[in-house]
Parts: sequence; structure tokens; C-alpha cells
Amino acid sequence: MRKDLSFLMLAGFIGLTAMAAPASAGSVENLERERAIMLEVMLQSDLTASERYEKITVSKRRLIDLERIVLRDKSLTGRNSPAVKRAFSNYDLTFLAHASTEKNLLVTDHWLEQLGLTSQNVMAASRRRR
Amino acid sequence: MKTYKSIPSKVLSKPQLRLLGFAAALLATASIVTLLPTDAIANANQPTWRPAVSEKLVKLPNSYLKKALDRDFSDSPLAEAIRSADSEINLKMQTLADLQSATDQAEGDVLTELRHQFLAQKQEYLSLMKNRQDLKTRHHKTRIKIYQRLLKKMSREHSGQSSEKAKLVESQIASRARFEKSSEAIDMKMFASAIAPESRYSKEYSKNLSAANALLQAISAHPMNAKQETDGVPVSKPDYVRNLLASAESELSLISQEGEIVGYMAKLVALDAMALADQVAESDPDLAEPDKSVGISSAVGLFIQ
Repeated sequence: MRKDLSFLMLAGFIGLTAMAAPASAGSVENLERERAIMLEVMLQSDLTASERYEKITVSKRRLIDLERIVLRDKSLTGRNSPAVKRAFSNYDLTFLAHASTEKNLLVTDHWLEQLGLTSQNVMAASRRRR
Repeated sequence: MKTYKSIPSKVLSKPQLRLLGFAAALLATASIVTLLPTDAIANANQPTWRPAVSEKLVKLPNSYLKKALDRDFSDSPLAEAIRSADSEINLKMQTLADLQSATDQAEGDVLTELRHQFLAQKQEYLSLMKNRQDLKTRHHKTRIKIYQRLLKKMSREHSGQSSEKAKLVESQIASRARFEKSSEAIDMKMFASAIAPESRYSKEYSKNLSAANALLQAISAHPMNAKQETDGVPVSKPDYVRNLLASAESELSLISQEGEIVGYMAKLVALDAMALADQVAESDPDLAEPDKSVGISSAVGLFIQ
């Protein structure tokens, strides 16, 4: 009986360890892929404004889930890989959907602002020969 | 258990008395010799206890740690040897008590023989005690080693973070905190309208989260998961292991003090044996002091005419 109990205890804790193991390998990569698609849509010149808006809205909903998956992924804690380091080095650029909603901005506006491209900057820019 | 033989009532012969005296003298030296350190010889085929510092010991709750070690020890050959040494010592104590009461009633040569037996049994008792102390020392030294290894393992898990990694963990904590702070507001903005319904992941996640929270509450309330307390203050795992380490060290120090007591006992047995040897020698007519040599002055008269 004691052996059975030890086995149960061990099994319980092995279960616990298995639970702590990465739930979804590559959650950061998935987020980056989705974000890249969204940025591509933002920069696509052949889309009309409403098409772009629709596509971005759909993408944003997916992005929100993916961002939450990354933020809740405990297996990423302290994982010193380049992708993870880059992802957490700038919240505003990585978690675009959350950061833009937090600031009451459109994703595109928020992204451009993060890159230092505001409407005022663009308007103030002049064409010059280098 | 009586291990001594009954003594015949007849008077012991001279060679027997001599033998007894020699045995008593031998006892006097043997009781000291047996207490000298014999580690090198002893370690060769002595029972051992070899616990391993597994990941399980590091991760499991405090209360389990000591119990697991105690259980592992009690199944080991070393624990078995200590148990059998304990029972041997108890039996030897009984024998000594029986011999003592028999000595009180005996007289003459029987008394001498009984005293000899008593001393021999005392010496055996002391060697049993010494053996048990060695076993106990080995037990506590092993415990100390395992606690030290556990502490090392724990500190390795908690430290060993490069500054870069620490920076990453810090930024992850900050990101999560920012997310937790704004998540509800974002939910309200994103999913309040019927146009953008809550995603399946979001719905399932909150459902699972409440189930996980209920389970977490049950885990934290579980008695086996209760934090060890010192004077009502919960202690961390490293602190708990350090407490265990200190108590093992104090056990070891007590054993060493007991060793001193055994040493004094052995000295007393040696002195008793010397006294007995002297007494036996005195009663032996052959070993008695020869007649005093006649001085030359007593012969002077023979030379004077």
C-alpha cells in the first residue's frame, strides 16, 4: 500500500511538472507571425481604407488572443532566447493590440507613433535631394 | 539473557586464579583498546545509508521532506543495524543488572569470578555502545551531507541568474503587471460591442481560470502543503532545511558527548579490572612476595669467635 501511495504521490507531482512545462512551444513566434501579417496589411497600398480597416479589426482580435497567450505563458519566464528577449524588450511594439487599446488609439496610429512617425512629423517633412 | 556461566562452589585452583588475574589484566587494557578509533576497518563492511538528493526532495512541501528522509532511512541497512544494536544493548543491560545482583549475594572465589564476569560484560556493553555511537554518527553525518546538498541545490535554483536573464525576468514581470492592470479595460473596449464578440480562447480561459483558482485554493489549504512554522512564523524551505541541519549537528554533538561518557566508563572498567588483578595476585600464594632476604649483619655473629 505504501508503494502504491508513493506511486500516486510521484504521479501527482510528475503531473504537476508536466503542467509547468511549456504549454505551447513557439507562442512568441506565432504572435510575431500574426503581427507581421497585420503590419503587412497596414502597409499594403492596393487596399481601400475600409478593406484595410476590416482586415485589421479581424487581425486585431486574433492578435489579442495571441498576445494574452504570450503574456500568460509561464514557460517563457527567464527564457533567454533572442526572440523572447526582443518580445519583452518593448511592450508597446510587441503587444500592439493591447497597448493601442490601452491608449485609445488605432493599431496603425499606435505603431507609427512608436516608430516616431506622427501626422505632424509627416506633414512637416519636405522632399529634398540628398 | 544471562550470558555468564554458573560458578562451581568449590575453591578455585592456583592455575585458575592465575588465569583469572591474567584475564583481569587483559580486560584492563582491552577496555581501552576497543575504544580507539577503528574507522578504517569499520567502514569496509559496515551498514550504510545512501540517500539521493532528488528533484522530488527539492520541490515537495517541507513536511514531506523530513518524512521522506526518515522513511528512506528507516528502510536502510544502517537503521536496521541501529535497531539491532539498541536491542543488544538492552539485553546487555539486563545481563549486567542480573550479574550485579548476583555479585551482591556472592562471596569468596565465586565473588571474584562474578566480578570478573561483571567486568567482562561491562566491557562488552561499552563496545556495543561504541558501535551504536559509530552507527548513529554515520547516520547524522549522512543527514548533514544531504541537507547541505539540498541547500546547495536550492541556492543554485534561486541564484545563478545572469544579469541579462534577471533583466529579462524583470521586463517580463513589468509586462505582465501592465497587462493585468489594463486587461479588464481592454476587454470592455474590445468585447462590449456585439460586433466583436469575445473569442473562444478568452471565454474558455476565464472559465478555466476560475476552476484553476479553486484548485489552487484547495492546494494552499491542504495540510500537507502547509508551511512549516517556527514560533508561529512560517519559514521558507531553505530556512526549514537549515533548521534540520542545525538539529542534525546538535545530535552529532550529543553523540560525541556520549562518546566521552563511554570513555570514562571504559576507564573505570580498566581501573576495576586492575584492582581485581591485584586482588587475585595477592591471594595467589605462589605470586606472593618472597621472604625478605636476610641481611648481612645477621651473619656477623657466625664469623666472630
